[in-house]
Amino acid sequence: MRALLLKIEPIIWLLFGQGILIGTMLLTGWVLVVGLLIPMGMVDASALSWDRAHGLATSWLFGVIPVGQLLLAALLVLPLWKGAHHVRSLLIDFGGAERDGAVGSLLYGVAAVGSVLAILAVVGL
Amino acid sequence: MAGPAHPEAMAPPTPGRTRAAPPQMPSTWWSAKRIRTYILFDATGIIYFLIAFLGIRLINALGAGPEAWDAAMESLKNPIYIAFHLLTLVSVIFVAVRFFRLFPKAQPPAMGPMKPPPGPIIHGMLYVVWFGITAFMTAVLAGVIL
Amino acid sequence: MVEKTIIITRFDPDRDEKPRKQEYTVPCEDSWKVLDAVNFIKDEIDATVSHRWSCRMAVCGSCGMMVNGEPKLTCKTALSDYDDRVDIEPLANFPIVRDLVVELDGFMHKFESVKPWIIRAKEQAEDKASLHPEKDTFGQSTEELGNFKQFSMCINCMLCYSACPVVANEPDFLGPAAIALGHRYNLDSRDEGAEERHDIFRGEGTVFSCSYANECSEVCPKNVDPAAAINQAKFGTVIDWAKGLVLPRGGTK
Repeated sequence: MRALLLKIEPIIWLLFGQGILIGTMLLTGWVLVVGLLIPMGMVDASALSWDRAHGLATSWLFGVIPVGQLLLAALLVLPLWKGAHHVRSLLIDFGGAERDGAVGSLLYGVAAVGSVLAILAVVGL
Repeated sequence: MAGPAHPEAMAPPTPGRTRAAPPQMPSTWWSAKRIRTYILFDATGIIYFLIAFLGIRLINALGAGPEAWDAAMESLKNPIYIAFHLLTLVSVIFVAVRFFRLFPKAQPPAMGPMKPPPGPIIHGMLYVVWFGITAFMTAVLAGVIL
Repeated sequence: MVEKTIIITRFDPDRDEKPRKQEYTVPCEDSWKVLDAVNFIKDEIDATVSHRWSCRMAVCGSCGMMVNGEPKLTCKTALSDYDDRVDIEPLANFPIVRDLVVELDGFMHKFESVKPWIIRAKEQAEDKASLHPEKDTFGQSTEELGNFKQFSMCINCMLCYSACPVVANEPDFLGPAAIALGHRYNLDSRDEGAEERHDIFRGEGTVFSCSYANECSEVCPKNVDPAAAINQAKFGTVIDWAKGLVLPRGGTK
């Protein structure tokens, strides 16, 4: 188990790094508006009515790039890998190196399943 | 966490001539301010996990149609969700500040003929990009532009 | 002159089951470093206290100890920065051989495993083409030197190993100083051993075990910044890995 983790570590680290960098940059505005300003009534809910939200999410840039779907996919997938990798290193720091093979695989497994779900959700728009 | 380190931490490849006491972690391991910051940084991973799954739920609702979307947006008014999103916002800002500080020096000094700009410039650029993206996304999502 | 209580961790492998603490009252000069207080105890109070030290000027790297829970080079740490009670322990994360003396062999083994020397494809005598025509040496510009100079300033004091939470929990982890040194040779324009060191950086417990706590760089007395080296090495490994996907290496990997 652990041997496999060590083999795929470069790609996991790459996803994790992008999770911190891109994930954080996209999440800030997302959480601010969707999670706080609209539910607290500071921004009118009509800004994200279904019509407008769906329109934004499925918008195309220059007719060739599905920019809304790409951004949403990045926003949902990358933080999962940041989460999995950081929770894994947190557990190692609290003495879990022996269980790392199983626990690490489980965490990355959850992130992988989440990524598939996220991509399915975005593609299904 | 004051306590023993892994019993084989820094163990010699062959046993030494005398009996050695097992390695200890520093008695202040957990309370030291820098380590606390680092542990919190790693712990934000849990928040990133949750916010991503919450986002997947929202996008599924968006795909399911207007009623499901309105119900999902209505459920976000629950104070528990608002508290969680507040915590997420704080975590995201904390991650950005710490990560932007650590990011520049992790760049390779040269990649072929290309050299990365000096650390402070990368540091500043990260902030500019972050503020830019956040301002743009906030404006778009809040209906100010587009 | 101030009186301070210096608490020293004692461990005698023949008599003690586990390390214990012993307190000494020491009349301290204002100008003293922490090492001076330990030396005073050894010379004037209790000759059985064992500790390592040599140069007194932050060059030899032998007097690293935990001072109030933080790894410090004791010859570089002013005693006046601490209160009346100073707790001095052997370096954390290392097996304790006696009192403040820790087992070095594990560290030396890791240090050696990164091949910290210049590796050339050909012997110098047969490699006339790469040599500077007049000086008969391998040339290097100031800029090329600047790429790695910082990482070559390590004095092997092992403070970074004591500070690192990963070293404490993963015995296989190569650790900050060793990776920084391997990376220093990979960055050296005269070196051709990156390929040979590749497996050492990719194998179990190597660069990717680092969780970038940055503690090694915080405690480093020579500003080597091992955390920077490790994370640069991660970038390098990822690039190598991506190259390997496109151009598979012939049989060796």
